[in-house]
This record gives sequence, C-alpha cells and structure tokens, in this order.
Amino acid sequence: MRRVAVIGVGVTKFGLHDRTSAELFADAAGDALSDAGISPRAVQALYYGNVVGSETEHQLHTGPQAASVLGIPSVPTTRFETACASSHAAFRHAVMEIAAGVSDVILVGGAERVLNVSTAESTEYFAYASDAVWEQPLGLTFPGVFALIARAHMEKYGTTEAQMAAVAVKNHRHGALNPKAQFQKQITIDQVLRSAYVADPLKLFDCCPFSDGGAAVVLASEEVARRHRKPVWVLASAAASDWMLLGDKRDLSRVPATERAAAAAYRQAGLGPTDVDVVELHDCFTIAEIVATEGLGLFEPGAGGRAAEKGLTSLGGEVPVNPSGGLKAKGHPIGATGAAQIAEIVTQLRGEAGPRQVDGARTGLTHTLGGNTATVLVSLFGRD
Amino acid sequence: MTARAFFERARAGQLTAVRCGACGELAIPPKELCPACHTRAWQSMPLAGEGTIASFTVIRVAPRAHAAQAPYAIAVVKLKEGVSILGRIVDIPLDKVAVGLPVRFRPLVAQDQTSVGFGPLA
Repeated sequence: MRRVAVIGVGVTKFGLHDRTSAELFADAAGDALSDAGISPRAVQALYYGNVVGSETEHQLHTGPQAASVLGIPSVPTTRFETACASSHAAFRHAVMEIAAGVSDVILVGGAERVLNVSTAESTEYFAYASDAVWEQPLGLTFPGVFALIARAHMEKYGTTEAQMAAVAVKNHRHGALNPKAQFQKQITIDQVLRSAYVADPLKLFDCCPFSDGGAAVVLASEEVARRHRKPVWVLASAAASDWMLLGDKRDLSRVPATERAAAAAYRQAGLGPTDVDVVELHDCFTIAEIVATEGLGLFEPGAGGRAAEKGLTSLGGEVPVNPSGGLKAKGHPIGATGAAQIAEIVTQLRGEAGPRQVDGARTGLTHTLGGNTATVLVSLFGRD
Repeated sequence: MTARAFFERARAGQLTAVRCGACGELAIPPKELCPACHTRAWQSMPLAGEGTIASFTVIRVAPRAHAAQAPYAIAVVKLKEGVSILGRIVDIPLDKVAVGLPVRFRPLVAQDQTSVGFGPLA
C-alpha cells in the first residue's frame, strides 16, 4: 500500500450563510486547492459528504452538483452519507483509493446548509438518522440520544452536569481563538448550568449549534506529496459501526464503535493513545466528548468527566482536545464536519494554528461519529 | 417475524420478541439473522411486558410532528427477560421518571400507527 498525505486544506467560516451547500463546499475546495498549490486539472476524483440536502435544499445528486459548482465537472464523484461522519467516511475511501494506486490526487470535502429552515424542521431532519420504524415515531431527537447516553454515564460513573459544562466552557474558550468558529465568545460554567433543558440532562449549552459551512482537503500519493510544501501523512484511517437501535446497545455509557475504530486505527499506525499530541473529536454534545475521550483510550472509562473538569483536555493540558473549538463552538455543518476536523489537525501539525497552536504537535487524531453512535471513523496523522 | 406482525401484536397489548431456535438468543425487535450464531431459526416469543428504566430523557425541544406533545419522556427499558427496547413513558409524572423504576408495556395507538409505550407497573 502507498503512503497518502494531505497537501491542502480549506474551511469556510461556520454559521449562517446565504449560499447553497455546493457553493460553500466550492469556496472551501478552492482554498484547499490553492493551499496545496496544485492545479484543479490534477484532481482525479471528488468524494463528498452531504446529509440533509434532500430536505433543506431539495437537492439530490450532490456529488456531481458540487463538482459542477466548483468547475471540475468531469471527475468521478460520489456522495457519502453516514450522518454526521459523512465527509470522514469520504476521506477514508479516498485514502484507500490512493493507497491502492488507483488515483494520485483526490479532493475530499463536504458541506451542509440547515439555517435556511426552522429549528423544528432541522430537529426533525436530524432525527431521520435514527430508525424510522422503531425510534422516530416515539419523538426521539438527536439531543435525546445523547441525553440517554449522558444519564447512563451519570448513573454508572457519577459524571456530573458540571463536568459536562466544563467541556462546553473549554471548547468555547478554544473557539474564541478560531476566526472561522461560529461562536468566538467565552462562556461560564454557570451560564451552561443555567441554560434551558433541551433533553434532560442536556441543556442548550451542552449542545452544538445548527450550522452552515463547507470544508475540503486535498489528498495525494507520496510521489505527488513530496513535491508540495509540508505534507501531513495519513498514518491510519479506520471505520466501525454498531447497532442502530438504542435498545440493542448493550451499555449506553459507552460507544463501542469508537472503541473498535480507535483500536483499528492505532493498530494500522503502530501507535497508542499516549502517542497522540492533539485531538479533534466529535463533541456534538458535551457528554459525547467525555465518552469519546474514554473510547479513544485517552482516559479510563468513567474518568472523562473528571479529566475535563481538571483541564487535562484544554490547550496547554495533558492532551488538548478540540483546539478548533470543536463542534460545540466552531459549529457543526454535518456534511462538512469530518473534513473540517482533518483540516484543523493538518493545520496543527504544520504548526500554523496561531493562538490555538498545540506546541510541538507531531501526531494528531480525528474522530467523527454518525448520528446515533452507529458510525464512527478515526484517523491518525503525522508530520515528517 | 416482520415489523408489521410485531406492531399488530403490540396493538393487541402483547409485546413480542423472537428466540433463536438454534442457540436460544433473544431479540427485540426481530432481526433476520441471529446476532449470536447467525442462523435464521427464529420463533416468536411473547414477553411479560414488564421491565425497569435503564436510562431516560425528557424531550423538551421536539421534532415538528411531536412538538404539541412536548415535554415527554423517552426511556430505554430493560425487560424482565433481559432484552431492552426504547419506548415512550406515559401516565408517570415527568419528575417521577427515574432509572430503576419498574414499568409495564402499553401500546400507544394513534390512527394507523402503533408504537411502544411504557406506563406504571401497577
């Protein structure tokens, strides 16, 4: 298998936009191609993540549409849909295609537009990622899924609402250092604890926002990457799944797909959790970050809440998590999120993250979770 | 057993699982293959419909179709037979819903749709 590198990244600001998701992607992709210093003619495929385009934009066939709006209509394109992990799934398939020798340069990205519809509508569309026969008719929501996980974690390990709030405060502190973040404002523990319940025990400030945005990365084979500045190597990219239904999950306090994908990624790279210097992980809700830090092996099961409270995951801490602000503060345009996390880790490993730079970061990890925890992708990155 | 058959029985008040004829594994809702031994030898098995709340939430921001019902509680219920299923909690005050609370299956019938509910045990 050939080595694969990320040679260019681009991300739009996340938040409210008056542009289609294809335009947002194209904006980010243009930046990624310039950053790579590579001609659009060199791109041999586009792998694309978009989730609720059918619902919010009445748009299917988003792969070729995105390629057309970008201006490279003739490349083969495929749209990936694994809920919030879509563009990370797209990334993994591009990595495999280059590693296998089929292509040398692939553009990967994603975009989402949801702020053009009401919160009640987007809440409904996001709930489509849970089962339509067994769960949606009960009125289950996306925050509801993680509220069930939070309650189970609190019961089993004594995790507190204040510990979850510490994750939100930390990610907003980081987001304030990221000019692309949707929220660039610090918040306090008290503000989180006093915010209204959305799905008990999760409150408004435990939840990431609805966001519009796009992200893209350019992947290349080693031979091509060597001709470009600061390639960041893909050391591993792994995926795992789990039961869709919450009732089928044996232990709601854990996310087995995270544990399986992490184990596979560490094995591929010949690394372990203690080798990781910087992490971008899927904090769609504060409890999701706590459970992910445990599933990735950064902390023991049950220790994630205390670790967040002690500041171990802050910039300057033992293992900085979500220096970008994470989904919580940077925003979560679901089709773009996986690619945006990769863009942040690449920026960190190049040493170009400015005030949010993790000093001396050599090895980075991205973790993206789909919907009801049934999809997880984990990738590892390193620099020369 | 199809989902349709499950909900027809549920509508009549009977919560039903499937048991693997090869290895004895229990599943709810039904699957095509036994997740334990991958054979296709299911037999339907009526359940007592009793269990305890394993985890729950109170949904306050609801999807459009459910907005008029909010706030409402949803729980993962661990059934006496050992399997778990998600259901809507009914006829229990929201501040009394708790992990470990015993509950009993209750079909929720709305026009053409039946869904899984749980109410007080007694």
